[in-house]
Amino acid sequence: MSLNITDRRRINGPQRSVEPVYTTTSPVDAFAAGGRMDGRALDQVRPIFIKTGPLDAQSLSAAAPSGSAYYEQGKIRVSCAVYGPRQGRKSSNNARMGTFDCDFKYAPFSCSWKRSHVKTSDEKEIALMLEQAVAPAIRLDAYPKASVDAFVTVIESDGKAATIAAAINCISAALADAGIELYDSVAACSMSLHSEQWVSDCSQIEENASSCSLLVARMPSADEVTYLLQHGKTTPEQTQQAIQTCANDCTRVYAVICRYLQATLE
Amino acid sequence: MASLILSPAEQDYIIRGVESGFRADGRGSLDRREVSLRTGMISQANGSARCRIGNLGVGTDVLVGVKAEVNSWTPGEPEDLGSIVCNVECSPSAAQEFEGRGAEEINVELTQLLDRILNGPQSGLDLKKLCIIPKQAYWVLHIDALVLDVKGSIVDTLVWATRAALMSTSLPRVVVETIGDEMGNMQAEFDVVDDPEDLTPLEGAENLPISVTFSQIGKRYVVDASEQEEVVTQAKLTVAVSPVMEICAIQKGGMFRGFPPSLLAEILEIAQRIAREELTRFDVHYAQAKSHLSSQADEPSTGSTFLVQF
Repeated sequence: MSLNITDRRRINGPQRSVEPVYTTTSPVDAFAAGGRMDGRALDQVRPIFIKTGPLDAQSLSAAAPSGSAYYEQGKIRVSCAVYGPRQGRKSSNNARMGTFDCDFKYAPFSCSWKRSHVKTSDEKEIALMLEQAVAPAIRLDAYPKASVDAFVTVIESDGKAATIAAAINCISAALADAGIELYDSVAACSMSLHSEQWVSDCSQIEENASSCSLLVARMPSADEVTYLLQHGKTTPEQTQQAIQTCANDCTRVYAVICRYLQATLE
Repeated sequence: MASLILSPAEQDYIIRGVESGFRADGRGSLDRREVSLRTGMISQANGSARCRIGNLGVGTDVLVGVKAEVNSWTPGEPEDLGSIVCNVECSPSAAQEFEGRGAEEINVELTQLLDRILNGPQSGLDLKKLCIIPKQAYWVLHIDALVLDVKGSIVDTLVWATRAALMSTSLPRVVVETIGDEMGNMQAEFDVVDDPEDLTPLEGAENLPISVTFSQIGKRYVVDASEQEEVVTQAKLTVAVSPVMEICAIQKGGMFRGFPPSLLAEILEIAQRIAREELTRFDVHYAQAKSHLSSQADEPSTGSTFLVQF
């Protein structure tokens, strides 16, 4: 009896329910045509655009950063503000050296899924990676008891490893813009392994299709590898080869950054 | 760790020693300290291990527990894979600076490193085996590590303990039944057998990589840096190598310097040789831990206390 009474004020659902049909996106093979989707060579880095000083205030105010940079590499867009040298926040154990702190944030709209406003643990880890990659280039002994802080925001990302590399390059440019004393600029580049072949500067789709990714940050003039990260399985020979190729790519990226920085002085 | 302050003279002594191939505790530059390993001391966990690396009963001490849980699948997750969730926590008992939020940074670093080594095909664990019914239910392995004491070389101790804990992990048996409903659709259902004797060991745990951490001191490097050596370490490189000598993960650490390419190439070459020795050593220690466990089977549990080995 009660089953036949329907509530006409509501839109009643059907008696039986079926599983919803999910849209199945057919996986895109990034290397289907034998080459790359955007027609790049395997060892070619996406075109780079740099601009220093986009966040520097016109008038001198206390809130303005000492230096800033905006960096594009293909679809990736990163901005960075550098503050300091200023008085260190935390009492450091080592009063003879300055500290370098880094803050990394993906904008909520930067990825294909919505990012959280609160800082996630992978953002904290990337911040630490950036510190470790860039700090060897800074003359921290020139800034005792002071701190240099870099704040990185990813406006758009395309490939995790490539985004971290872009962030390192962006910080380097911003540090130079802030006039922080550096031994050398750090340039970074990433690679992914795709069927026994290393591919430089992978986009997200290419990265998803690969089994291993590698990130190298380097000071080309000082010839020092300041950061090295490998995620995935390779043979030792493959790793050696990738570090070599990545180092060459870093030198090329470095040339682009240096050419821009020189041009800003003229 | 950072809480230890060395005088410039002491620092100089260590750096020059390492550069000429001597270390304060008499080890060679590629030697590890003594290792103590125990497994299965946590009865509530599916697998557990405690590892201490250090001489004379003082050293870095890590306790790892593996807890398996059945999770129901939600759209967007991989369809036929189980998952691994890592968490590392540094106890304030290990060092004063871990008090309050002081351990946050190192916790994140170690958690992500462990995740990078274990989560994915590079770990050697077959995540497909952890799937119970595709698109329905899968096992989640929660790997929780507690760092109880820090005396240098924390990453290697963590990986040793995690490897032992996963090797000693066994999961309850799961019975999957396929029933056809009145519409003719086949539906799978599962039941976790609630019998403490009916366990299957985790497959593929013996393929897990082992890690070797190199600390650059002066112009040279050492394996398994002690607490004092860690103070003067300028850069670290952790290399995870699998039993078939594949490189599973590499991570650089340390804020002060980078590696010259020649040193980097040398380290990567040596890492394989050391990893091979380490794996044989691990097997010996693991076998000992296992036999120790079985010989004490009828005795009441002694908890997780270590017998100090001299």
